[in-house]
Amino acid sequence: MKRSGATSPEGAPRSRGPALAAPRLLGAAFVAGLVLLWQAASLAGVLKPFYFPPPSRLALAFWELAWEGFPEGVRIGTHILITLARIGQGYLLAVGVAIPLGILIGRSSVLDRLSLPIITFARSVATLSLLPLVIVWFGVGELSKVLLIAYGCFWVMLTNVIAGVKYIDPLLIRAAQTLDTSPAGIFARVVLPAALPRMFAGARVALGVGFMVIVGAEMIGTIQGLGALIMEARTYYRTDISVVGMVAIGLFGFGISVGLERLERVLLPWHRGLESVRR
Amino acid sequence: MTKASRWKDSSLGVVGVLGLLAVWEALTRSGAVNPVIFPPPTAAVAGALAKVPPRDLWEHVSTSLLRILWGFGVGAGLGILVGIASGWYRTLGALTQPVIDLIRPIPPLAWIPMAIIWFGLGEPSKVFVIFLGAFFPVVTNAYKGMTGVDPILLRAAQTMGLSGPRLLLQVAIPAAMPDIATGLRVGWGLSFGVLVAAELIAADAGMGFMIMHARQSGEIGVIIFGIILIGVTNLLTDYGIGEVIRRKVGRWHAT
Repeated sequence: MKRSGATSPEGAPRSRGPALAAPRLLGAAFVAGLVLLWQAASLAGVLKPFYFPPPSRLALAFWELAWEGFPEGVRIGTHILITLARIGQGYLLAVGVAIPLGILIGRSSVLDRLSLPIITFARSVATLSLLPLVIVWFGVGELSKVLLIAYGCFWVMLTNVIAGVKYIDPLLIRAAQTLDTSPAGIFARVVLPAALPRMFAGARVALGVGFMVIVGAEMIGTIQGLGALIMEARTYYRTDISVVGMVAIGLFGFGISVGLERLERVLLPWHRGLESVRR
Repeated sequence: MTKASRWKDSSLGVVGVLGLLAVWEALTRSGAVNPVIFPPPTAAVAGALAKVPPRDLWEHVSTSLLRILWGFGVGAGLGILVGIASGWYRTLGALTQPVIDLIRPIPPLAWIPMAIIWFGLGEPSKVFVIFLGAFFPVVTNAYKGMTGVDPILLRAAQTMGLSGPRLLLQVAIPAAMPDIATGLRVGWGLSFGVLVAAELIAADAGMGFMIMHARQSGEIGVIIFGIILIGVTNLLTDYGIGEVIRRKVGRWHAT
């Protein structure tokens, strides 16, 4: 779907490949048309600019954010950096703990069975429902936001690491054993490479969770960060600023997710085929 | 998996949960952790039940569930329709997919301010945010399922004389069902994730409101109870949906 379609993982041409350019062009033209229509409807007074700020208004709002900042003095770069820093800290914390713990649990069937219901439940807990609790425990500062993001990312990552380690083809391991590979060698050269694609998948989903949680986390006790910007703008009836903030967080979420996908293809060339398996 | 080993699996799981609860209870009872800030599980549940009478509790749960049902119902319904139509009609797909791909990365919660401006502070704005949480996973997966239908399957059906709506309804949609089911479950989970934030918008009932309200009055027991309540509701309903899907979709699913 996202692949250019020249070759499928198996190297065979995909039926849907060649005719892709035309639909893309059509899609781009359609999007451009919608944007123009939006602008025109706004100029004609059909769409009220307060409810649906037109593209021209959004450009002005972006200009204002870039030079004067909103609230006064906090420029868009600051909002973006602060949001990314919060996500980054929570995300790295989550991934850093989840990988060793997940490997441990995935390699031990007793630990796996002991922890399964706990993990299942912890995953079901809505991350944002922890908001009041972390405020009471850690205040409204940075720590609360980072911990919320970490919580959301952690369980997604953990389940994927466990699954990656657990569902390795036993034939691979037996083959390595037949070749007299030491347990450490099996781990480093069989288990880890086979589990990495799943871990990467988890890392991507977890990042999406982080971008989702940050907006909720920034609703409290801060005026800095894209989530705070979106919410603050509303109280000043600046819907144009809200929408610019939404677009910014969408763009960054999308960009980073695509970047991770590219990274995965560069780092893990041996498992491109998993893309089709993971459906 | 045999019955005996499955029983052994879940019994170990029960041990894990009980162990965790026992450690939590022991830590707080012994004073290693301040019980006011982190009450033991028994105290949290007992305190919450004392503070929130069962009738109020039921009202919070049912209000939240109703919001989710509306948001998810509309989101999933529309998502399935748009996803299937876009996957079946190439031209339509070429038009809808770029728009969906552009809007999808915006987190549902980021829509809250615009939701309030468009729909006011009442129910529709909350339902709208939940709708967004459900719509995108469902539409993406339905589209993926439809475009991923094995062409050989379609050609075989065509050879046997099937075409038009019958080809769509009897071959393509059933083949896309596993993907649609995945989308539904992801969408349901996301609806729950969005719920609490949606209920921050001037709500006067609902599970999210209950815990936010408890924060203002400083009742940590109620907060912890509420967090667990939301988690359990999510878990049970997700299990229910999973069972329904297994029964209805299972016969198409190869594995």
